[in-house]
Amino acid sequence: MFGPFRILLLSLLLFGCVKEIDYETLTTAYSADIRGFDPAFATDIRTGKIISLVYDNLVRFDNEMNLVPALAQQWTVDLTGRKYTFIIRNNAHFHDGSQLTVLDIAKSFQRVLDPSTASPQTWLLDRIAGAKDFMNGKENFLRGLKISNDSTLVIELDNPFAPFIQYLAMPATAIINIKDSKSLSQAPSGSGPWKLEKWERDGEIILSKNENYWDKPPKAERMRIRILSEVMTQSAEFEAGSLDILEVPQSEMDYWNKYKYNKLDVDELNIWYVGMNCSRPPFNDVRLRRAMNYAIDREKIIYILLNNAATLANGPIPPQLLNEISEPRYEYNPNRAIRLLQEAGFDKGLHSELFVAGGSGMFHVLEALQSDWEKVGIIIDIKRSDWNVFKTSVREGKPDLYYLDWFADYPDGENFLYPLFHSKESMTKRNRFYDPEIDAIIEKIQQLTNQSERQQLLETANKMVADAAPWVFLWHSKTTYLTQKWISEFQPSSIFNANRYMKITKHPR
Amino acid sequence: MIHYFLNRLLQTIPVLFGVIVITFVLMYIIPGDPVVSMVGERYSEETIQHLREEMHLDDPLIVQFFRYVGNVVRGNFGNSFITGEPVAKMIMEKFPNTMMLAVGAMFFAILIGLTAGILTSIRPGSFIDRGIMILALAGISAPVFWVGLILILVVGVMLRWLPPTGFGGIEYLILPALTLGLRSAAYLARLTRATMLDVMSQDYIRTARSKKLTEWKVYLQHAFPNTLIPVITVIGTDFGSYLSGAVLTESIFGWPGIGRLALEAIMKRDFPVIQGTVLFMAIMFVLMNVLVDMLYGVVDPRIRLERSGK
Repeated sequence: MFGPFRILLLSLLLFGCVKEIDYETLTTAYSADIRGFDPAFATDIRTGKIISLVYDNLVRFDNEMNLVPALAQQWTVDLTGRKYTFIIRNNAHFHDGSQLTVLDIAKSFQRVLDPSTASPQTWLLDRIAGAKDFMNGKENFLRGLKISNDSTLVIELDNPFAPFIQYLAMPATAIINIKDSKSLSQAPSGSGPWKLEKWERDGEIILSKNENYWDKPPKAERMRIRILSEVMTQSAEFEAGSLDILEVPQSEMDYWNKYKYNKLDVDELNIWYVGMNCSRPPFNDVRLRRAMNYAIDREKIIYILLNNAATLANGPIPPQLLNEISEPRYEYNPNRAIRLLQEAGFDKGLHSELFVAGGSGMFHVLEALQSDWEKVGIIIDIKRSDWNVFKTSVREGKPDLYYLDWFADYPDGENFLYPLFHSKESMTKRNRFYDPEIDAIIEKIQQLTNQSERQQLLETANKMVADAAPWVFLWHSKTTYLTQKWISEFQPSSIFNANRYMKITKHPR
Repeated sequence: MIHYFLNRLLQTIPVLFGVIVITFVLMYIIPGDPVVSMVGERYSEETIQHLREEMHLDDPLIVQFFRYVGNVVRGNFGNSFITGEPVAKMIMEKFPNTMMLAVGAMFFAILIGLTAGILTSIRPGSFIDRGIMILALAGISAPVFWVGLILILVVGVMLRWLPPTGFGGIEYLILPALTLGLRSAAYLARLTRATMLDVMSQDYIRTARSKKLTEWKVYLQHAFPNTLIPVITVIGTDFGSYLSGAVLTESIFGWPGIGRLALEAIMKRDFPVIQGTVLFMAIMFVLMNVLVDMLYGVVDPRIRLERSGK
């Protein structure tokens, strides 16, 4: 029935279907689609990354995590630490060709705070003077935003707040074309180095370079971000040459090490941890919480299960954000863990549940934790649920123990303290940890503008939190990227929105 | 016929209403909170409360239900909690992709299934028959996920004959359609074979043969049409389920269809999208069943006569 001629014909037809490598288009993949192109709703990392490509901010992070000028050519902060003056560049244009003005900047910030926008990101700007009154409808303008002239914007805060300038580099504070803000969710209206060409939801996002960008435009002509939810699918596409960059899960590193792809490791600003509910027994006892830390052989887990792609966490703040390398606080010491358990009255051991969310990729790690705890008499059952149920449970303070990670919003140790351990945040949405001394030091860190003093306080706070042991501090993970041989100048960064794919190129090799 | 069709359509209304009620109740029973998917990590309690009010999540359940039913009757499926887009628009954007995949899958299912079924029924017990039936058994038993990955690795990565995954022209359709259609093909092959063997032992086949018709004519003109009723049933119900989205196949191949839309909505507790997609899936499935009923009458006029009581 299928003679040799027909088989040959079929093969030719099929061979003809595979496309040649497109050297003008850089192709990468996300595991899920973005939420949309409205900066006011950029609450997840993927959306934040895309927003940083199609929009500009007043300032931004470079690949070394330094804060650098963007739409603001320069800025100054007065001695009180409350007043910021920005000089805005006059050569920036939106993708529709219209000029970006100081008014667009003021209106963009106002829009995030406007109750009718219903943005969940108001926390970034609600320290501007008058923001609370504006949000409550008591005033119809933002008192703390002042346009001095065509190129000067002054922002006044209620109180000094050191991280504020970094907030202005976050996706939600990106500047939109206020004349074209009706359908931002589907069609961005920004001034960034990339323009949206096509968005097939759950399929792909295609961006083309903005030739009229105020800075040097990207070197690649086009970017294609494919939405591939399965890790195996991404790997297959990379192996077939259809993806240029692949983020490799640690569990698959052994497989990829066989091949000669370009490999890049990035020390992420993150921490993996087990949160313990500190507001009720049994984990309101610091001895038990410390025992939980001493019982885990983290070095072994990092070496064997994580392919050495992580560094030990000696507190919540990643080492890149501290001047001094922290002393190891909880070395593996099961005997000490047993002694602490006895002191705390758990001679006969303890039984508890660990809440986790997500796929099977982490289960080998969880089993290792379970096994280490069991050796000192702590029996842990793993309770798995989907992400939404898990987050809701944590928010409601239900779990005694939960396994989670935290990735930096901005490269500042404060970002690993206030949102996680200040009682205002922890008592309402995390592991119910309250320590007035730690609250006070975090508040001081937020206000201080003197960098050396601030850095010392960050180190002190890091040690204090580690001593109080509200978490089992696990590790700061690395991300490994593989790139095809035809890719050069790929520069991933530790902070999620720093890499804007400006220099990356694709050439035949 | 038209009267019967309208009657069948009217009968679908209680089914669809039941789907609306069950989906609505289930969503409020399952744990989780849609607001949690929207707010990120740094929300305030005021933000949560404000969003709840915006989305009317604090209204009594019965008020929410009747508001939803009222909107659906007017053709309004609401807006997504997450993206703010109209749900009907989101579904309609995905439907052509799902339809393309469903048609492709059914093409492979019919082509492979019916051919294999007829071939095996010609010489039951032969080498070809046994070989194909073993393959059919494997086709029914193999998980879609596994078949998809094998096809990606072999055809896409090792042989590089087709793009492993993705969405676009016909070359992207072949692997997911084959993956989705293989199980139906295997089932159709077994069903066609069994029905053909049954038909071939009937008196009218002996009569056809006694008229010295060629064996192919006997098979294709006399025997095969009489196997169509069960075959149409399988094709119709499978096609209905394909139109409802194929979550696994769509996920493996990065195919932006209704199945993935529904899955993402479930993960994020995006209630309007869940309600919209489930109702849409139910409508597709029910319509396909009505269509299959209609086809029975076309294929076998006796069924029409029985219905009209003649």
